Formats: sequence, C-alpha cells, structure tokens
Amino acid sequence: MNLMAVVDASVKKEGLQDLTMQRTVSSVPFAGRYRLIDFPLSNLVNSGVNTVGVFPTYPFASLLDHIGVGKSWDLDRRKNGLFFLPVTQRDGGLSSVGAFAALEEHMQFFTKSIQPHAVVINSFIVSQLDFKDMLDQHIRSGADITEAVSGGASLKTYILSKDLLIELIRTHRDKKVVSVEDVVNLKKSPYKFNEYEYEGYFAIIDSVQSYFQASLALLDEENRKQLFLADRPIYTKVKDEPPTRYVSGCHVERALVANGSTIMGQVADSIISRAVYIKKSARVEKCIIMQKCVIEENCDLSYVIADKDVYIGEGVVLHGTPEQPIVLRKGEKVTKEDMR
Amino acid sequence: MMNDKVVAMLLAGGQGSRLKSLTYTIAKPALPFGGKYRIIDFPLSNCTNSGIETVGVLTQYQPHVLHEYIGLGTPWDLDRHNGGVTMLPPYAEIDGIKWYAGTASAIYQNISFLQSCDPEYVLILSGDHIYKMDYELLVDYHKEHEADVTISVLEVPWEEASRFGVINVNDEMDVLEFDEKPENPKSNLASMGVYVFKWEKLKEYLETDNVDEESSHDFGKDILPAMLQKGEKMVAYPFKGYWKDVGTVDSLWEANMDLLDLNSGLNLHDPGWRIFSSNPQLPPQVINETGNVQGSMVNEGCVISGDVSKSVIFQKVKIEEGASVSESVIMSGVTIGKNVKLHRAIVPPRLDVPEGFEVLNQKDEVVLLTQEQLDEWKERGGK
Repeated sequence: MNLMAVVDASVKKEGLQDLTMQRTVSSVPFAGRYRLIDFPLSNLVNSGVNTVGVFPTYPFASLLDHIGVGKSWDLDRRKNGLFFLPVTQRDGGLSSVGAFAALEEHMQFFTKSIQPHAVVINSFIVSQLDFKDMLDQHIRSGADITEAVSGGASLKTYILSKDLLIELIRTHRDKKVVSVEDVVNLKKSPYKFNEYEYEGYFAIIDSVQSYFQASLALLDEENRKQLFLADRPIYTKVKDEPPTRYVSGCHVERALVANGSTIMGQVADSIISRAVYIKKSARVEKCIIMQKCVIEENCDLSYVIADKDVYIGEGVVLHGTPEQPIVLRKGEKVTKEDMR
Repeated sequence: MMNDKVVAMLLAGGQGSRLKSLTYTIAKPALPFGGKYRIIDFPLSNCTNSGIETVGVLTQYQPHVLHEYIGLGTPWDLDRHNGGVTMLPPYAEIDGIKWYAGTASAIYQNISFLQSCDPEYVLILSGDHIYKMDYELLVDYHKEHEADVTISVLEVPWEEASRFGVINVNDEMDVLEFDEKPENPKSNLASMGVYVFKWEKLKEYLETDNVDEESSHDFGKDILPAMLQKGEKMVAYPFKGYWKDVGTVDSLWEANMDLLDLNSGLNLHDPGWRIFSSNPQLPPQVINETGNVQGSMVNEGCVISGDVSKSVIFQKVKIEEGASVSESVIMSGVTIGKNVKLHRAIVPPRLDVPEGFEVLNQKDEVVLLTQEQLDEWKERGGK
C-alpha cells in the first residue's frame, strides 16, 4: 500500500468537555464496546494501510492503554505498523485537523516512511471510509489535495502527496497556514483541490448532543447495517467478558448491549456497555450507560449519559431531555441524598 | 507465586463419542460451551489464574481446531519466552509412529519434553471438565503431605459414584484403595482426573508401565494402582466447588443450564477468576422491539427479535420474529427462522433452522439438532 496515515487525535471539542475530562476525544467510548479511534484505525487497516501515526495530546493515558502497540488492528508489525506520537503543540487552533506545528514534532515519521501518499484523518468522525478507493480517485484526479465529503459535509479527511505534506509542515509559518484543514479552506490557493464523495454512514461527534444522537441512532438497523460490515469489521481492544446475563423478570427492548453485563431491570432505547449492572426494578430509557456502571434498584433514568464507573444509588430519579441529556462524569456517585 | 518447577500436562486428545455429531470433527476439549468458550478454556484459564506458566497440551483425535485455537496461547498469557504452551500431538520416531494408547502412554511419549522442562512436580489435567480450581492450593497440599502423588477428589452423589474412579481414604486422607468405575462403590469420593506427581516418581512408573504388555497405559487403571501396590505415598485432596464432566449431550446441556442458575456455583462473571477465551471482533448484541430475553446468556454479534428464555446463546446468532427458544443452547452463527419453536434443543454451530420448524419433545428430553434432521423435515414439506 502506497499510503501512510496521520491520525490527528489532538483535536479538542469544547462541546464534549464532560466526556473528555480524563481522556482525548479519540478515546471517548462509543456504541457499547468501542472508542472513537477504533473507527478510523479499523478503516485504515481494512483499506490496507499499515503505516499509521497517531498524534495525541494530553491526557492520552486512556488512549495509550486502549491502542497499545496496535495488536487489535494487526498493527504490531516489525515493518511499518503503529507509531504513537504525542504532541505538545496546539497552535493550529483547537479544532483544526492536521496542525502543522504538531506534525512538525515528529518529522522523522514522515521522512523515514517510504509511502508516496499520506492521508490525514481525525478521530471524531465515525464512518466506513475506504481509503484505498479515495486514494485511487485522488490519483486519477491529478489534484494536489483531495478532501472526503458526504452530502455537502466535510469529513475532514485529506489525501495529499507526502512530499507536499512535508513541504507544508516545513514552510507553514511563511505560508501563514496552520493545518491541512486550513490549507483546504483557503480562499486563494496555489493548489488544485478535489472532492471525494463518500456515500456510507457517518456521524460527526463534536458535542454531547451529537454524541447522544449518533449513539441512539445505532438502534436503527439501517445505520448498524452500514456501520458494522461483515467484510470490514470494526476492531477494538478485546476484553475477556462473559456473555451478558438477562435475569428472569428483566425487560429489554431496542437496546444495544455489550458483553459482561447483568440486566435485572427494564431497559429501552439504550446503549449498554461492558460489565454494567442494572438491578431489579430499575428503569433505563434512552440512556447511554458506559463500562462498569452500577444502577441500583428502583432507579428511574431517561436521557442520561453515564460515563465509566458511575454508581447510581437506589431510587435515584434523573430525567434529561433529548436536547440536553444529563451527563454523569467518569466515576461519579449519585445517591438519593444528593438529589435533595 | 507458583513455584516454576510445576509443569501441567493437559490431556486433550479425547473424542467424546457420546457427544454424537458435536464431536465428529472436533475433539471434546474444543467443544463450544457457555456462550463463548470452549471446554479447554477452563483448565487453561485455571493454569493462568494459578500461576502455572508451562503447559503441555496433548492432542490426538481431530486436533486441527484445537491447535489453531490455542495457537501461541495468547488469550491465556501463555505466549511466554520461558515455558508457555506447547502442543504435543503424537509423532513419528525412527521405529514408526507411536499413537497415544492411553493417558499414561501420552505422557510417556513426551518424557523428553518434560525432561527439557526439568520440573519438580507434574500436574496432570484433563481437557474434558468444567470447573474453576486453584491448582496452587493443590500443589501446596501435595508438598505439605510430602506425597508421591496427590489425587484431587470430589464428593459425588452415591448413586453416581460407580461412573467414576472411586477413592477410599483414611482419616488422614491417605488413599487406601483406588477403584476404577466400581459396581459397588465403597466411597463417594470421585477422582477428578487431576493429579500431582513428583516428577521423578512419575517417570519411574511411566517407564515400568511402558514395557508392561498387560497394561492399558492408563493413569486410573494402571499407574495409580501400581503405585498404591508398591506403597507409594498417595493422598487425596478434597476439592469443593462446581465440577462437571460434559461427556454426553445431556450433561453438556445441564452444564449450560447451570450457568443460568445464579446459585449453581459456576459463576463466569467473577472478575477474580476470569475464564479466558479468544474474543472475536463483533458488534454488541441487539435486542429488538419484538425480542424478549429472560433468564438467559447472550453473546456479542447476536440479533434477537424473538422470545428467548432460559437459554445460552453463542455469538452471531440471529433469532427472528415469532420464534421461541426455551431451555436451549444455540451455538455460534445459527439462524433461527420465523416462528421456529425450540424447547430443550442443542443447535450446533452455523445451522440454519428454517421458518416454522418445531421441536416438540414432550418428554423433556434434550434434542441435538442436525442438518440431516432439518433436511428430512424440508423433504417432508415442513412437517
């Protein structure tokens, strides 16, 4: 494969602050058993790309724990593979993809790799982009830079020659540009641009609202069919969780449930992650419950996003709205006493 | 930490002929169990959790699935620089191929492997049983009793004792008698097929047994009685906890149902004693609007649109609308068509159960579904 990849995991999203206190946007949990970065990484390996640089900023501990040496994506290779390249610079703007000042900190990654083309991608858009197809189209077009778009929306994914990328990184201060995204958005530019129209599923996760909507949209079979393809699987770090237990007396409908959970209460229109415990007579509706949460008896929750390790004490009632779901931060404990 | 001088030898060559079509193409230890596991995951995970890092796996009958499955032993942290897992199928020598004639001959043929490990103790395990056991406690007990061999035993109901190797002991747990499947058992302590030997003693008896033309080269029938006869120190280690030999279709079904009983003693959700397994990359399970799941276990990659009660559902199973599955075990990749009714059925991997098919076993017998049965049903026009 003559394409190398830059996964920009340093982009911050103000709207996701509640979910990114202790992690990067790229390691936000999604769809019950994944992290956002699983989607770009899986798309890359499913497209045959095996030289992948991941560029995160702090706090990247959870991202490093998740991707490790890239074993889950078969990127633990002697030749090429996954490169974890933390960056300190963010003067390319908080939400601009492919900041040159950040990439400059790891110039060797670009100068040492042998692939003639580079794809610069983000880790806050969930899709099934085929980078091989995109590269073919880019080469045919003769353009300098190709941007992936879908129905008028930018997927903030760019293919350009590695030489051009290196040149931009080296000269960006003189050229007064901050990122690949910035170059593409210039009004006047010496470069020839091309668009690659993508027609599959995608979701842009840039706020709690968009996160909530995109998550619950996966309860729709059509969306799942487009995102979870048998021949292009989404890989993630695997856990040794047993199958989920549905205890007699529970009631579950329209739910996406990961392994290792125990469900005794009522669940509807919700996403339940790994190793969640939902006790008797608890009601969970239109919620996203992340890994290892415990929901005690007689709770009544709707429009709630409970981050990892949240404990919700007996009888707690929490009702958010579709526009403003209640977010419980990682490790938070909520009891009836707190509610008064 | 476990003394690194312990090597486990896991006997995984058995056919399990009473499991019928389930073991035509795989060895019994490779049999799927509990929604995502294979039986061999249990002894292998017990090794991992007990700190045993050198494991030999002896295979013979239909070994391919097992060899591929175990691979380098990564799921059990057995991909080690020192020790780790070694697959030990029968091999050819200058004077021909030597098949494993019995459990003892399987170990005898691998004496050179054991020599190279240079163990002090050898733990003999079987790949046929579902149980969680800390082998470190067993080895400690063996050392404390300064025994030549320690047999792990379990109290079984008296009426079942004649199915097992029965151990008679004195108050000090010294073994007095070893009866292999006796008609009139004198005790209800059954051997679990788990033994710890002093390696030097085991080697001595294996070598003697090998040249004995009368011997069937079996631990229970030959090695242990010979050691007892010679007055070697043999003690019994009383194991308490869940243990099941899944040798028949009925017992396989029962063991799966035990998983659904929160009080059975077999808890897979204990984070302190994980059963490790390979983890396929599949999306979460989906329970649809028409789906209803009660008292069941469901694995990833399933889509449930029908009624499921008291059942174990493996990965990638699709249960369509109007279907009803109760007290059943549905293995990976199965599709249960619309309006199918299954009660007390075991459905082997990848079967496609057509719309309207019913298993109405009124006698509450467990039915093992086969492709032939479905084909015949279709030929009869779905009756």
